[in-house]
Amino acid sequence: MWEQIRANKRNSILLLMLMAAVLGLLGWIIGMSVSPDPQAGIFGVVVALVIWFVLALVSFSSGDAIFLAASKAMPVTKDVHPQLFNVVEEMAIAAQLPVPKVYIINDPAPNAFATGRSPQSASLAVTAGLLGKLNRDELQGVVGHEMSHILHRDILFVTVAGVMLGAITLISQVFLRSMFYSSMGSGRRYSSRGRNAGGAQAILLLIAIICAILAPIMATLLYFALSRRREYLADAGSARLTRYPEGLANALEKISQNTVPLAVANKVTAPMYIVNPLQQEGMKLSDLTSTHPPISERIKILRGMSGASFADYSDAFNKTTSRTTPIPSSALKDETVQIRSSVQQSPASAKNQHRNIGDIMQRTSGYRFVDCSCGLKLKIPPNYKTDKVQCPRCGQVLPIS
Amino acid sequence: MDCPICKSAMIVLELEQVEVDHCTACGGIWLDAGELELLFNDARQAKQLVSSFHHAPGVKEKVRSCPICLKKMQKIHAGGFDPFGKLRAGKLTAGSEDEPVIIDRCPKGHGLWFDRGELPQVLAKGSFDKERKVIKLLSQIFGGGSEVKNGG
Repeated sequence: MWEQIRANKRNSILLLMLMAAVLGLLGWIIGMSVSPDPQAGIFGVVVALVIWFVLALVSFSSGDAIFLAASKAMPVTKDVHPQLFNVVEEMAIAAQLPVPKVYIINDPAPNAFATGRSPQSASLAVTAGLLGKLNRDELQGVVGHEMSHILHRDILFVTVAGVMLGAITLISQVFLRSMFYSSMGSGRRYSSRGRNAGGAQAILLLIAIICAILAPIMATLLYFALSRRREYLADAGSARLTRYPEGLANALEKISQNTVPLAVANKVTAPMYIVNPLQQEGMKLSDLTSTHPPISERIKILRGMSGASFADYSDAFNKTTSRTTPIPSSALKDETVQIRSSVQQSPASAKNQHRNIGDIMQRTSGYRFVDCSCGLKLKIPPNYKTDKVQCPRCGQVLPIS
Repeated sequence: MDCPICKSAMIVLELEQVEVDHCTACGGIWLDAGELELLFNDARQAKQLVSSFHHAPGVKEKVRSCPICLKKMQKIHAGGFDPFGKLRAGKLTAGSEDEPVIIDRCPKGHGLWFDRGELPQVLAKGSFDKERKVIKLLSQIFGGGSEVKNGG
């Protein structure tokens, strides 16, 4: 579409190279700290580069599968939730992209993310809590946000960055732990090679330890800083695709009122979600370490839009904050887009909607449903052992079919 | 979801679109935070209820783990009225009427756990939540209230 896509591709390659350099350096320092022989340092670099190559290969070929599995996302078909599929198809057409694979995460915390290597192999995951809480306009806003991530090629960047960040953290941890344990055992194992090298050796070891501690922190900060700008841009993209910024604003408001933390999220997957799943209420994260802009600010910008184009978002952004706009200049020359009116919906009971989603999730995970004549509904998990159950309400013994 | 006490699979009971998890083996009950939210129609009220109970330090009852996050649950006072801190001052004898019921709460706010004997105690106190929504729901599902009809 515009320069942002090119920049994202460039960033992905740059990040891969940067990570290679960091890993190589880490390998060299660790190698040198183990033995003063220059060959040990080269060996360390070789080992680190082999690890980097394998990881780059893994993150390109199956990074999305790793994230989906780590989030316990289940692939679903159209008949499970027709409305979700309908909205996803609609947004894919609006963004002129192929329809991504759709996953549902069985978690009551409302959230969503997209992953994949390219728009052709993208996946979109939403939680059951999101489906249970949002109406169609709001769901469209969230799906539009994720579709923008796919359109801007954010998904490849975040996936590659996530796998690389995980790798650097892992190597540092392995090194630090091995240092800890070897120092408890025969501490002077490598010092027999020469007395003169002892001092330099100790300094190198110290540098290696400091590097191993700092590398993951630096990588995390870089990762976080790069992910925040993308959130604004995806919000703007959602407003343009849906032509209804209020939908996403309402959705963000509902999501932010959530009180249950998302169980399947961790530090590496957090930047992928539409709203930071780890942030607790009342916890103020400093600007450096937060993966997402504050929700209240995102809502204010969306509600301040006079049209639905990128330029309108940029104006609203400047009015709300004092910072420079995150929208690239080439996108500002976009045509004007009118805001559409909201879709009139029958006010279906929120409870009903929530329960329906719950039932779908339970059915797909193998629960059997038994209706007692007293009005109580019993849902029997697949690992329930006996084939009869007593209704705790009226005492009837019911067969589980 | 597995029972925190006997680790067997819990069945789910639904009445008026609100779910409760129940262990048929040991008779324990799990009230999920999301379900409380549905019951009150409001996330804030449900959270207020869960966090309104006071931590009960030094209770000898066995520690249970949250069936969702497996974190150790806190022992809390529920359904008892203890305006002068009599219990904490040790002036209250076990078994007396004012004695609060001790239930378990997930420290991360995933929900509340009642052992078998604790439910009737809470129902008898009748002061679990202001609007009595929880009390009403539980007494309708598990009996102990006059509204229970024997279906046939």
